[in-house]
Amino acid sequence: MASSSDMKGFFRQKKKTAARRGVGKSKANKATSFKKPKNSASIGTDQVQPPALISHGALDLQDDCDSKEEVLRQFDMSMAYGPCLGMTRLDRWERAKALGLNPPKDVERLLRAEKVNAQCLWDGRI
Amino acid sequence: MQDERFGIQKEMYRGQQYSQIYFARLHLMRTMLYSLIPNWKVHLPVCTVLGLEEGKECIIVGTIYKHMKLKPSILDEYSKERSTTPLVKPHNFVSSDDYLVLEDESGRVKLCGALLLPSVFVTGIVVALHGKETGAGDFMVEDILEAGFPHQIERPLVSGEDKYVVFVSGLSVGGSSSNPLQFQLFIDHITGHLGDEKEQSFAARIVQVVVAGNSVEYPRTLLNGQNLSSKDQSRLSEPIKELDILLTQIAAGIPLDIMPGPDDPANFSLPQQALHRCLFPGSSAFNTFRSCSNPHSFELDNVSFLGTSGQNIDDLEKYSDASDKLGFMERTLRWRHLAPTAPNTLGCYPFTDRDPFFIETCPHVYFVGNQEKYQSRLIKGSEGQVVRLICIPRFVETGTAVVLNMRNLECHTVSFGAEFST
Repeated sequence: MASSSDMKGFFRQKKKTAARRGVGKSKANKATSFKKPKNSASIGTDQVQPPALISHGALDLQDDCDSKEEVLRQFDMSMAYGPCLGMTRLDRWERAKALGLNPPKDVERLLRAEKVNAQCLWDGRI
Repeated sequence: MQDERFGIQKEMYRGQQYSQIYFARLHLMRTMLYSLIPNWKVHLPVCTVLGLEEGKECIIVGTIYKHMKLKPSILDEYSKERSTTPLVKPHNFVSSDDYLVLEDESGRVKLCGALLLPSVFVTGIVVALHGKETGAGDFMVEDILEAGFPHQIERPLVSGEDKYVVFVSGLSVGGSSSNPLQFQLFIDHITGHLGDEKEQSFAARIVQVVVAGNSVEYPRTLLNGQNLSSKDQSRLSEPIKELDILLTQIAAGIPLDIMPGPDDPANFSLPQQALHRCLFPGSSAFNTFRSCSNPHSFELDNVSFLGTSGQNIDDLEKYSDASDKLGFMERTLRWRHLAPTAPNTLGCYPFTDRDPFFIETCPHVYFVGNQEKYQSRLIKGSEGQVVRLICIPRFVETGTAVVLNMRNLECHTVSFGAEFST
């Protein structure tokens, strides 16, 4: 439940004017626009948990999702590079490269150099 | 030998689903089709399925899905009564109600129009379609672009003597209807132990033997999942032992390639991996013996060969119509895909990053094993490609093997009868 009672407080955040990725006729994900708000892990909405659904004043899901993981999750969810389940993220990146899809270099750098989760975000959950 | 693409030793199963191979296939073939579209219709825009606008003429590229109401569904096993007879008998599932749908990663659209005959197409082909969206939300097709025959490396003109490749399949050694004498006659003939000087000089010119699948047949009663007594266990190993003895006689003198088929002790899904060498202790001692995958791709003297043990063409026969088996074979070349119905109705390994059934270069000889009868045709592609298509008949039923002359790509049969007419 929202903690404040008036309508302005209800919508805690203003809509971002950055390119809004909606379901519909938009083209495949542009490789550079990874400016999603924190903890947003789905296409089509800016927020995975709108303020109306926050219970007891804390967000539901905040475990190991720092900004690096966020970038990788957006890579997982992007339709342009194909299904993500059943492949390591690096394998999927290499496949995208081999098929000429120009996957973002940042993702490659993160996957090779830093300590991040090699599996996609649904691994073990489905 | 170019069978590395059909090997699955390096693949690791990580729980992937078949969407991965369809994604790889779509991208691979779509890129190739995009390069062909400018030569086909240069002024039309290309868009995705989701980008279609009503009445706007455009080109879309995607994977075909054929909806077939007669196609057996696994769910029928739960809704219908369980009985010992299988619910589905292999026959043709084409019906006049079938319709086609084109699908890419953004969406799918039903196809209409008199140009596209659903009975010709199957699920899994990637094509480009020219047309426009109708008011009803379907896509009215005006023209279709298939991938077409791939590029063929020209065979240098050879003069000189004839060299023969012998194809045989469906030996079914160890089966109840196989006649060992018939296959022994075949072996004696091709190794030059029979016939007069003319026959022997023919045999001397055989440079390769290809056994295209179903070389053994196991008694069905032993394969029902029950524990086997030791007597039954030795019965189980007899067919392959008999086959090894027979093949040793061939391998001792001529290069021999053996491919697995649907009834052989190999994995079920395509690409079938090579039969293990330990099954052939006698023949594998010779370096002329090669156990190969199914499909099998190889080159001999600048002639490229590509062939399967029949599963790809037999599956096409169940889900589409053509005037003869050679017609199906020609279609797979035109669609540049050996087994478009895999993985939909044909068992297939779930590759993630590639589709090994994509035909990259056009073979000179394209063969398919385990067919009902011998058929052969020389077909020509639009860019001068020349392909010899061969349907190899089942030896156990027909006693017939196929002989190809590599010099001129001509084909004939040799038949062996072991019955004495009374």
